[in-house]
Amino acid sequence: MRPLPMPAGGARGERIETVNLLDACEHLVKLARKAGASEAEAYAERTRDASVRVRDGEVEELQQASSKGIGLRVITGQRLGFSYGTDLSKEGLKKIAETAVALAKGAAKDEANGLPRGRELGAAEPGEYDPAIEEISPEWKLQAAREAEKAARGADPRVRKFDSTGAGDFLSHSAIFSSHGARGEARASYAYVYCSPVAEADGQLQTASWSDTRRKLATLQRPEEVGRIAAQRAARMLGARKAKTQRVPVVFDPQMAASFIAGLSAAVNGLLVHKKSSFLGAQLGKRIASEGVTVVDDATLPHGIGTRPFDGEGVVSRRTAVIEDGVLTSFLYDATTARKADAASTSSASRAWSSLPSIGTSNLYLERGALKPEDIVKGVKNGLYVTAMLGRGADVVTGDYSRGANGIWIENGELTYPVQEVTVSGNLLEMLRGIDAVGDDLDFRASTVAPTIRFSELVVSGA
Amino acid sequence: MPRKSKPATRAPLLPLPLVERLLSAAMSRGAEFAEVYVERNTSTAAMLDEGAIKSAQSGSVTGIGVRAIRGAQVGYAYSDDLDEPALLRTAQTAALIADGDREPGPVNMSRTPLPTYYQVRTPLASVDVTRKIELLQQADAAARAHDKRIKQVMGGYADQTREILVANTLGHLAEDRQDLCRLSVQCVAFGKKGERRTGFYGGGGRVDFRFFEDFSPAQIGKEAARQAIATLGAVPAPAGPQTVVLAPGWSGILLHEAVGHGLEADFIRKGTSLFAGKLGEKVASELVTVIDDGTVAGGRGSINVDDEGNPGERKVLIENGVLKGYLYDHLNAKLTGQRSTGSGRRQSFRHAPLPRMTNTYLAPGDRTPEEIIGGVAKGLYCRQFGGGQVDISNGNFVFEISEAYLIEKGEITKPVKGAMLIGVGPEALKNVTAVGSDAAHDPGLGTCGKDGQAVPVGVGLPTVRIDNVTVGGTGA
Repeated sequence: MRPLPMPAGGARGERIETVNLLDACEHLVKLARKAGASEAEAYAERTRDASVRVRDGEVEELQQASSKGIGLRVITGQRLGFSYGTDLSKEGLKKIAETAVALAKGAAKDEANGLPRGRELGAAEPGEYDPAIEEISPEWKLQAAREAEKAARGADPRVRKFDSTGAGDFLSHSAIFSSHGARGEARASYAYVYCSPVAEADGQLQTASWSDTRRKLATLQRPEEVGRIAAQRAARMLGARKAKTQRVPVVFDPQMAASFIAGLSAAVNGLLVHKKSSFLGAQLGKRIASEGVTVVDDATLPHGIGTRPFDGEGVVSRRTAVIEDGVLTSFLYDATTARKADAASTSSASRAWSSLPSIGTSNLYLERGALKPEDIVKGVKNGLYVTAMLGRGADVVTGDYSRGANGIWIENGELTYPVQEVTVSGNLLEMLRGIDAVGDDLDFRASTVAPTIRFSELVVSGA
Repeated sequence: MPRKSKPATRAPLLPLPLVERLLSAAMSRGAEFAEVYVERNTSTAAMLDEGAIKSAQSGSVTGIGVRAIRGAQVGYAYSDDLDEPALLRTAQTAALIADGDREPGPVNMSRTPLPTYYQVRTPLASVDVTRKIELLQQADAAARAHDKRIKQVMGGYADQTREILVANTLGHLAEDRQDLCRLSVQCVAFGKKGERRTGFYGGGGRVDFRFFEDFSPAQIGKEAARQAIATLGAVPAPAGPQTVVLAPGWSGILLHEAVGHGLEADFIRKGTSLFAGKLGEKVASELVTVIDDGTVAGGRGSINVDDEGNPGERKVLIENGVLKGYLYDHLNAKLTGQRSTGSGRRQSFRHAPLPRMTNTYLAPGDRTPEEIIGGVAKGLYCRQFGGGQVDISNGNFVFEISEAYLIEKGEITKPVKGAMLIGVGPEALKNVTAVGSDAAHDPGLGTCGKDGQAVPVGVGLPTVRIDNVTVGGTGA
């Protein structure tokens, strides 16, 4: 294998430029005011994305690029307009300003429209930025991906095919400026390794994937381990069959528990609640889950993947307990929805330069419990351990939950044979109340995480 | 040479001599193939909520993606900085996939003559935003007028005018303007004891704005409201294997998930799809003929040309139950000695192309829908559908049923809620026991995701009966 050459434009690839974003935002806000906006806010982001994908130890795809963009929100006469673009030249910005102001004329007046201001604004700890990630060479990524692929092959003889294996880094630099006091910059760095092997036996193919993403290079899971775990997850599904339709206890592994929590997060979206369109809307202050269930959204978490100094409209980051020991304690708000609902922003505005802010989460997690995951499985006489799912699942308007599931059947506290082509279904409120075990295996490997959890009873639908 | 008579002869997105220089730069280290993709995407969106237009937005993004290929190895780079030095750097970065040095020969490009499958006279980007907003207001009014229990209506209008230029070192040069629009409405009906049901409907495609004169916003709003009201009081869907009858149209998502993805040539080449190596084998009931067709007039998934410069095509994938073909992009076709089927698509210039579907549908059969429903003693009638997903290795797929009813003794009876279908692609298609004559395409709402890339697609299905499908639900 030859060494990979350096990309054009610098020793370690194109540096992510850091000088102009805030200036561009400030200039754009000035142009918007000149064009007639009473309030204006610009958000810009520049990213660098570099990745290597391998197949059979050779490079399959080498990608490197940086890109940028800027978005402008204006309010004029309580009407909202938005425009964006990638052209940061004077003419480009002028066009964005004029478009946004013109578009606002078509929107309806809404007294809740308004930018956050005053004490709401500011910056908390910025979250990790690791200069070592800027310096990751293509060779390092190639090596990492090859190690993951090799370890996956070595882990099980039935793993011979791969959907993909790769490694990469991602840098972002964002800036915000508003006519009403928002002003800030944030940087983030991410390194990742992933592996999606396919195991094959007796004409059946089973795939699984495992990945690790960290903001600090030194904490990234070893590529061999990523490959080995992925291979084991694929191989253990070989021979999977349908289970019978029945009501049984169901255990979600940490990845599936995290996706359950992610689905649930829409139910605490302040806008859905305000519109009486969340199944949790009428439950504030009430017990909705078993004791020991605590769900937190924390944008200030040290080492968190979703940690940021401020949210997408410049409101200082904070920690919000959504469910505390089973009691629903807070919904999530951005500035506009908070005003509408007579609440305060929870610094929950998510943002991309090409869209308006919307309510989202930062580091959302289910607090760890005291139980070992093995003991949670041991407590099940007959049930399902779920390791992969298909479909969106949670409908937070109706409270219905139904998803396709793969996993391992549990008999007398032991994991036995693999199961596929079944669904697990329930009612979200009953599911929350039915969580009867929470594991201690919480790892902040993604922006939404959870430990192993067990539902006392769900419907497994199969044969 | 560009034809003189047409206004379409305006300047290309990037001057052609510069495109040639970029191709040369991408080949400068010994790649075997290079491609330059230029895209300008202008989009407009408006949102209605709580009875009022919340926002209107518009923007434009231009960029290029450069790909260099050597053997099975791909170098990809992109840029939204359009000055020549930045573009050359981008091409040189893509070139790094190869490791030699060579003097690239001249590239002589010629335009591919293209048919057109979209009748969009006025670019959607040029239609005044107030007309787009009016659509939302009409839809909202119609939904609320349908029934007092409709308490929340959310409407969205979005369009894009996407201009592309693709040039490669084989000498192909293709340009296309791909307009796309979509109007959709979601309603929430408030029932007794806090019950909430939702309805969703909409339409669009690669169509002129006048499309909405026939496919009216009022009709869209009313249908979304009807679904929400119809399912109030629904009982939990029965769990377990059942006979299901799928209503025509958007139910085509069954094909998209159950077979379509598994026939994409990247999975076939890697051997990770359960359909790999099965060409010529029977993979479905004889009643099943599946077509992927990029040439449907005005179809949401239609393409005059794919994102690699190859013309859109109509491909028969499964004929009378026998597997006939796969969906090829340039790279996977080249590596396996096949030809591209015009299936190389990408979300934007920031993405390398992948083999993808366009409009995927089932050829009609000869049964009437009444006959099909009437023949079911006990089963489930699925009228409206949500999204779906597939695992292409084990073939497990799901799709959500948003409006379903029990079938009892050949009659459609009670509404049920929370239903989802799960199956394994080929098994489900072998259990197709009746196909209706009422072929229908979805109204133009579908977006397909793969490897983090979203592309617009269409699906279609006549009324179909499938036996022994597992229904996920909470009922007995």
